Amino acid sequence: MQKHNQKEHLYKLLVIGDLGVGKTSIIKRYVHQNFSPHYRATIGVDFALKVLNWDAETVVRLQLWDIAGQERFGNMTRVYYREAMGAFIVFDVTRPATFEAVTKWKEDLDSKLVLPSGKPVPTVLLANKCDQGIDVLMNNGIKMDQFCKENGFVGWFETSAKENININEASRCLVKHIIASESDPVQSVEPDIIKPHLNSSKIVSCSACFKS
Amino acid sequence: PAALPAAPLGFTDVNLNSRNTYEVSRRRSAPEHLPHGGGTAPAAPAPPPQEPPERARHRLGIAGAGSSFAEFFTRNFFTKRTKELKPAVQSAPGWKLFGKVPPRENLPKDSKIIQQEYEARTGRMYKPPAPSARRKNIEFEPLSTTALILEDRPANLPAKSVEEALRHRQEYDEMVAEAKKREIKEAHKRKKIMRERFKQEENIASAMVIWVNEILPNWEGMRATRRVRELWWQGLPPSVRGKVWSLAVGNELNITPELYEIFLSRAKERWKSFSETSSENDTEDAGASVADREASLELIKLDISRTFPSLYIFQKGGPYHDLLHSVLGAYTCYRPDVGYVQGMSFIAAVLILNLEEADAFIAFANLLNKPCQLAFFRVDHSMMLKYFAAFEVFFEENLPKLFLHFKSYSLTPDIYLIDWIFTLYSKSLPLDLACRVWDVFCRDGEEFLFRTGLGILRLYEDILLQMDFIHIAQFLTKLPEDITSEKLFSCIAAIQMQNSNKKWAQVFASLMKDNKEGDKNHSPVPKN
Repeated sequence: MQKHNQKEHLYKLLVIGDLGVGKTSIIKRYVHQNFSPHYRATIGVDFALKVLNWDAETVVRLQLWDIAGQERFGNMTRVYYREAMGAFIVFDVTRPATFEAVTKWKEDLDSKLVLPSGKPVPTVLLANKCDQGIDVLMNNGIKMDQFCKENGFVGWFETSAKENININEASRCLVKHIIASESDPVQSVEPDIIKPHLNSSKIVSCSACFKS
Repeated sequence: PAALPAAPLGFTDVNLNSRNTYEVSRRRSAPEHLPHGGGTAPAAPAPPPQEPPERARHRLGIAGAGSSFAEFFTRNFFTKRTKELKPAVQSAPGWKLFGKVPPRENLPKDSKIIQQEYEARTGRMYKPPAPSARRKNIEFEPLSTTALILEDRPANLPAKSVEEALRHRQEYDEMVAEAKKREIKEAHKRKKIMRERFKQEENIASAMVIWVNEILPNWEGMRATRRVRELWWQGLPPSVRGKVWSLAVGNELNITPELYEIFLSRAKERWKSFSETSSENDTEDAGASVADREASLELIKLDISRTFPSLYIFQKGGPYHDLLHSVLGAYTCYRPDVGYVQGMSFIAAVLILNLEEADAFIAFANLLNKPCQLAFFRVDHSMMLKYFAAFEVFFEENLPKLFLHFKSYSLTPDIYLIDWIFTLYSKSLPLDLACRVWDVFCRDGEEFLFRTGLGILRLYEDILLQMDFIHIAQFLTKLPEDITSEKLFSCIAAIQMQNSNKKWAQVFASLMKDNKEGDKNHSPVPKN
């Protein structure tokens, strides 16, 4: 049970991106601290829950929605976007086509989901399988920063679900931006309802993440 | 962009937890790590583990007709395989004999111990020297250590007193009695399981005789009889399963094995030309449909390795990899309007496990041509919503309490039904159980898919009523693995597919009519 003065945030996060980029693996690594090369394809949507002790007064519960990657499902999966507070868009550094699809995913997301303030939901870009594609992003860091700025990502991380690289960091970054995007934290204490705030107006950038 | 190294598609690593995770300082977008000007080279990554190619280990070396495979791949088999893949625990040679003996402490080796070691190696009684270890052994290995407790103290220690010796003997007797009791109980349990298995096998054998000798030769005349329908509900014997599925699904599309060969060769040509041109740059100017189809082929490749990965037979190098590839590839050529959609690989895989290649393709194409499957695989969203709505009618009728509970969380059927319907439960249920669902699905049609869904909800109703949104969603998208066919089928049997005298088809038809009038409301549930 919670302490009396503890605040609890519940955030719905989407994990989207092309088929086979490792969305499920990232979530399994993040939530269950393990990895297997034998995950089955996700059909529809899978779920996970991660509880973070954010600070002494704050508990953050993350509802992770692991959404099937095939483009064809677009129509069907858009209902899953409803009321999400943040998103990860994932691509596979060993498959350039999955990076090309990133802007498509971002546009799709922004067209179907906005915060009540009218702003897009905070989104972090994950360059996954970086254990396999060492050279791909080398010397491209600045380009990636530029890409994120142009496309409205709040940050990007090279990740590896297999080697457990940067996944916790990426999540902290996203949560920080979500918290910052909520101007009035008192309202969000209802445990089972995700209630975006109507009057949040500005996104505060945080020091650990990409500055917009 | 520069040419990128292609990702190896097969397996890379099975032995997961034994490896250290090195602290690799990766670049990320955090300002303190920003590679200003030129970019810092990433720190050396963890060296890749030098493991032998996994492929060889994954090969099962199965030969023979596929008809009895489904029976073979039960859950027991899965767990066994997984266990086998783990590297054997290293233990000192000679001591392995006793399985659970704890690692030996370092003791001065006197002649007695050497003698004991020798005895242990040659398979005779072994006396562990440390008293603490001795206790443990008696707990776990009563039969292999019976003489231990009677052993006198080593010569350099004072002898046991009479009372102590007596007490030890008494304790020892009790322990042995306890162990015996346990063993007898275990033996009884084993016997019971064996008896049940024999009975089951007998049932299967006698059912098989009936199917082969009576029903199959008179299929059209007998398929709808009460007796056959009842026998069908019990589950098809694996040896006739594929045949019955084929007959029940039918071949409305009139596909012949020759036609399959034609589409297969077309698919092969396409793969060839695709792999030849894939080195060129993107298909920017090519029509979107071509790009889609090529993407489709790419998707098939990606998904095949993620189809029943625990079976290790559809993955690259596995015995059925090419077969699955062929059936799916031929289908995308046969039905370019549908193409490849995720979920198909599971359906094709189950068919391949039960039918010969061409028959599997024929059943696959006809199965996907059923109205419900066509609606889902074409991702016809408004049709899907009608199926969900019909499902909810029967959900409310059969499980009103749970229905309200779900409603209170706005937990809509699309959250769990999509996976179930797209894969016909082959991904969510254990394979043997999924095959039994397929049996009755072939008998009763789409209605049974939704009835099965309600059966699952009924089976777990009490648990689900205690859960909140995220836990229900997690539970239903990953069902418990110990679900048994007896329990599930008794729950399915208890689901009534009648709603104020309307059957599934009528309910569905009236929903279709309603939606024609008030269309365009795409939200699956009214938001409350």
